[in-house]
Amino acid sequence: MTAMHAAVPGFTLPRIDGPPVSLDELLHDGPLVLVFAHADCPTSALTLRRLARLEHGSRLVYIFEEAPENAARLARRTGVAATVLAETPPYEVSRAYAVETVPTAIRIDGEGGIVGTVVGWDADGYGTLLDAVVPDGGPRRKPGCGARWTYEAAAGGLDDLEDMFERGWTDGLPVVPPTPERVEAMLGGRDPTLSHGPVPPAHGEATLQRVAACAVLAGCRPAYFPLVVAAVEAALDPGFNAHGVAVTTQPAGPIVVVNGPARETLGLNSGMGALGPGTRANATIGRALRLVLALTGGARPGGLDRATLGNPGKLSCCFAENEEASPWEPLHVERGFDPEATAVTVVAGDAPLSISDHRSRTPDELAATLAWAAAGQWSPFWWPMDDTSLFVICPEHAALFAAAGWSKARLRAAMFDAVQRPAGELRRGETTPFVKEAPDDTAVHKWTDPERIVLVVAGGDAGRFSAVFGPCDGMKAVPVTREVRWST
Amino acid sequence: MEYVSPIDDRTQDAVAFAARDGDLSGKRVVLVDITKARSAEFLDRVDVLLRERGAETFRIAKEIFSRPASREVIEEVAIHGDLAVEGLAD
Repeated sequence: MTAMHAAVPGFTLPRIDGPPVSLDELLHDGPLVLVFAHADCPTSALTLRRLARLEHGSRLVYIFEEAPENAARLARRTGVAATVLAETPPYEVSRAYAVETVPTAIRIDGEGGIVGTVVGWDADGYGTLLDAVVPDGGPRRKPGCGARWTYEAAAGGLDDLEDMFERGWTDGLPVVPPTPERVEAMLGGRDPTLSHGPVPPAHGEATLQRVAACAVLAGCRPAYFPLVVAAVEAALDPGFNAHGVAVTTQPAGPIVVVNGPARETLGLNSGMGALGPGTRANATIGRALRLVLALTGGARPGGLDRATLGNPGKLSCCFAENEEASPWEPLHVERGFDPEATAVTVVAGDAPLSISDHRSRTPDELAATLAWAAAGQWSPFWWPMDDTSLFVICPEHAALFAAAGWSKARLRAAMFDAVQRPAGELRRGETTPFVKEAPDDTAVHKWTDPERIVLVVAGGDAGRFSAVFGPCDGMKAVPVTREVRWST
Repeated sequence: MEYVSPIDDRTQDAVAFAARDGDLSGKRVVLVDITKARSAEFLDRVDVLLRERGAETFRIAKEIFSRPASREVIEEVAIHGDLAVEGLAD
């Protein structure tokens, strides 16, 4: 610990749990100790956890180099309960106190003079500074980390990618900072004030400018923006029930299916690995919709998004239908749109389950394999299910149905009929009111109606792997399709 | 650096809890059934406990658990209640 006497710079900072407070107000009650820290520093976390046990009688005031919500999270994580202040860029208070390392603790006497400083974790130093006994256990000393403002000094400018994390404008992965120039390019001359209405669950207004900011953050090219807008429009249709999908404890999220000519012009992947990584349009269009719900709509995981587990597809889930490999009308045509139109369909669902079938040689066999793969959806004994099961049929499977002359309607009917069980076998664990009341020998289908089975074709030419997305149950969330409008 | 925010600042305002006065005697309490499985069962028990403490209860149900309550339901809650209890489920 070093001792010195100097007048301290004044400041006013926001508290994480109350109105802003000034140093003068804090000093009104007597001497105190300022502790500077931030969330990316392990030594800060160590120090805060140790100080949390020494707060009584010590008048600690924490200054976290974090946005208020991140500061509150750091306080919860480390258990500190004294006054916590949040300092955001350009970190004027840290600079004024020349805090180059966190944690740094500065003891200020009643007259506003600095009477002691501890840098990093130093158990003996804190013992002297706080006039307290620091319990044994854990390291006695540990070097600190660079204060956030020193990043800026070293890099010649604030790290804008880190700034996005500090603001919380992310899904956990790095994002593209939405500078005015990038957002303007994304808008492409469209009216930024145009509104698509409130986004559940927090009802932030989806102005075109905010949607464009999310598209930039997601990494979209401006050419993708009309698809993002159409996806947002579809997700905000009351039929999709974005509120329920956003806040549910289920792992569900929006799945975006693209049909029409823009699949090719924008480079969307409908072929090999269509549900996987590797294609910018797929990855960023789906991500942009998710960011609109999470940031503009406020459905942040662990906040208003209450998903127990979630699923990796909630980062992004968007693919195009392989219309060229399909023997059937494309999804958007089936849903009443022109074949030459580009359209997006949003479906509420969760993770895809792969269905391998390399042995079936008849359409009935293959229909049964596909349908029975979904028999355990939602819960193994939850029959019938009144929600959408989105099946993605691979080209080789589709070709078998095509060779047999099966229409989409016939396949749907065959799948619906294939999966039946007597009610008596389903009365276990989580089952439906229908099954509870039905006689034992009543044949129960997996779905309430063949129309609950939605079929699209996607995937590479080789390999007999189809997939089915899990449902979003009980939401009355129906698939919604919107045509993409290209003009401004 | 200047950025275009994706966030509507109006969603960032903290909403404070209403004050709790700790006395239920004579209070009108609306029990809101969200219509999910076992919500009513939960509220039946809460209903008994509230009445034991001198409260007057009133039941109302949301149209569907997975959507926000309609304006009509919210207005009914406001008309009939000093307090409200929303029943979760499962």
